[in-house]
Amino acid sequence: MTTFLQACLDGLLIGALYALIGMGLALIFGVMRIVNFAHGAFLMLGMYASFLMFDRYQINPYYGFLPAGILLFIFGYLVYKLLIQPIRNRSEFMQILMTIGIDLILIDLAQLTFGADYHQANIDLVNRSLHAGPFTINAASLLSFGLAAVFIVGLQQFVMRSRPGQALRATAQNRDVAPLMGINVIRIQGLSFALGIAFAGIAGGLLLPALYLFPSVGEDYTLKAFVIVVLGGMGSIEGAAIGGLVLGVAESLTSTYIGNQWALAIDFVLFLLVLSLKPSGIFGRQRA
Amino acid sequence: MRSKILAAFAILASATLCAGQNTIRIGIITSVTGSQAAFGEAHKNGYAIALDQINAKGGVLGKKIELDIYDDQSKPDQAVQGVSKLVDQDHVPVLIGAYSSENTKAIINPVIQHQVPLLIPTATADNVMDSKSPWIFRICAGANDYAKKTIEFLQHNGSPKTMAIVYEKTNFGQANMQAMKDEATKAGIKLVAVEQYEAKSPDYRAVLRRVKAANPDVIYFCSYLLDATTLMRQSREVDINPRYYTSSGTGFAAAEFPTPKGAGKDAEYTFSVSQWLADAPWPGSKEFDAEYVKRFGSHPAYHAMQAYESLLVVAQAINAAKSLEPAKIRDAIRSTNLKTSAFGPVKFDANGQNQHVVLITQVQGGNYHLVYPPEVADSKPIIPAPKWSERK
Repeated sequence: MTTFLQACLDGLLIGALYALIGMGLALIFGVMRIVNFAHGAFLMLGMYASFLMFDRYQINPYYGFLPAGILLFIFGYLVYKLLIQPIRNRSEFMQILMTIGIDLILIDLAQLTFGADYHQANIDLVNRSLHAGPFTINAASLLSFGLAAVFIVGLQQFVMRSRPGQALRATAQNRDVAPLMGINVIRIQGLSFALGIAFAGIAGGLLLPALYLFPSVGEDYTLKAFVIVVLGGMGSIEGAAIGGLVLGVAESLTSTYIGNQWALAIDFVLFLLVLSLKPSGIFGRQRA
Repeated sequence: MRSKILAAFAILASATLCAGQNTIRIGIITSVTGSQAAFGEAHKNGYAIALDQINAKGGVLGKKIELDIYDDQSKPDQAVQGVSKLVDQDHVPVLIGAYSSENTKAIINPVIQHQVPLLIPTATADNVMDSKSPWIFRICAGANDYAKKTIEFLQHNGSPKTMAIVYEKTNFGQANMQAMKDEATKAGIKLVAVEQYEAKSPDYRAVLRRVKAANPDVIYFCSYLLDATTLMRQSREVDINPRYYTSSGTGFAAAEFPTPKGAGKDAEYTFSVSQWLADAPWPGSKEFDAEYVKRFGSHPAYHAMQAYESLLVVAQAINAAKSLEPAKIRDAIRSTNLKTSAFGPVKFDANGQNQHVVLITQVQGGNYHLVYPPEVADSKPIIPAPKWSERK
């Protein structure tokens, strides 16, 4: 029983970060109907931004993730303006090609700039653990979890309560009617893209202490993000948050009871199950 | 202006041409960048020392030698491209490489097709020697030797009853896991857990918890450097306390592993097989260590030594062959018979395998100490490893 609960606990801790990644992708998909295949590459950039601040200026990644998120917000907005907006009304096929192209270019640029070496942000917190009865929790993972939770709730509140959030939802519901209500759809789409990328960047910053950093680190996370979004129902932000937690726990239980090598496989088992049995996602909610 | 540029080009061109005529290029494939970069660095440093020694003595066949290093970025497909680049474009007569077992396995067939001799410095998976091709030689001992020596050591030091194997999932880890599985079973040691992990995603807690639940006397790790470091840190976090932490070298024998840059204090008491140590009983070992420290500011692990010795063996073979024809160099490598060297005796068997002695080391006070076999040991093994809660 202890083992089971410990595995669930570990799963929830990493799941919150998956949730952040998934929510970013869900936001972009919900509002723009664009599947962002470059999501993992933006996450990787967030990690490098946070790592460089740590490596050059000894800024702890738990502060560095915030400027990394802001940088990625600006970068995401530029990418939208220069590359995504011109093709926003073109076929889905074009959009897929575009985001895959961005993904490849970002990974190769990272490789050219930073080299293929593996890096690790060795902060003291990673080596600390808290003990609660029979359970151990890594201090860094717990802090990442807490910060991720703040951003998850923040994004959910922003989308549900604020005026730009309402405009986001309106655009998600109907892209043709929204402008008739006085919503600047292009601006809202730019905002959602930049915000989605910023969330990938924040997640990257928070993941940095727990991962090795190398140019193609994001590839697995692009895939995970899709699974999360599908689990939660395409484009639903709360769904993505829950999908992230579910995925984290599923992976952790798989590693504990079946073996570490199956952890990535379980992602796709879930993916196929949901697609074939309940394509609207496990929670089957309305979009955004 | 234009003529000046042309003249400059002419000089440059003739300089390169002359260089081409006066030097002999040796092809080297290693992982300068990527996940195995720490080992690629060790390789490069080892080659550099050997290169200078050879050239200081007048080179080979009256010409200086030059290294043509191809960075495989720690990826097998890149290593394969390296063979084509070095042999087809640069026309090197002999190759040394790659670093990892995974990348080495990938280049075996291309090398045989290109008909150049390959000397393998560090790949321990025994399947790199499966081809039985006359073009393939290996200077290091393999996974079977690692497993045999570890079991022998355990049987002379308390005869533990149960073991868990934790291994990374590429060729290196799999080969060492399989070798240990066979040897442990033969020795009557019960395997209570055999766990694979993905080296690039550094959360091994679930794996370690499974091992902890199985409560083994011995853990045998087959790991590269970053994962070795993380495994030991997380072993402390999970509070797993076997009597022996053992390993198939590599990450657990890397120069950085017992330093604060690696696992630091968490590396203490871990045993590792080793192919070479500065304290090894071979003439030239200490000199190599001193030269390495002087040039690179840190002590070398055996990976650097294997690169160093490989280049010396190749240079000697070219001298003996008196030719740059790959087939003649191949035959000269085959008849290499060094009674002694800084890496011990070097002599290849019919399958191209050097018969090399494996040592066992333990991290004590932040350094590797030679603890087995007894006739060469300089320290006593500390058994059992203290529980994490009792360590300072």
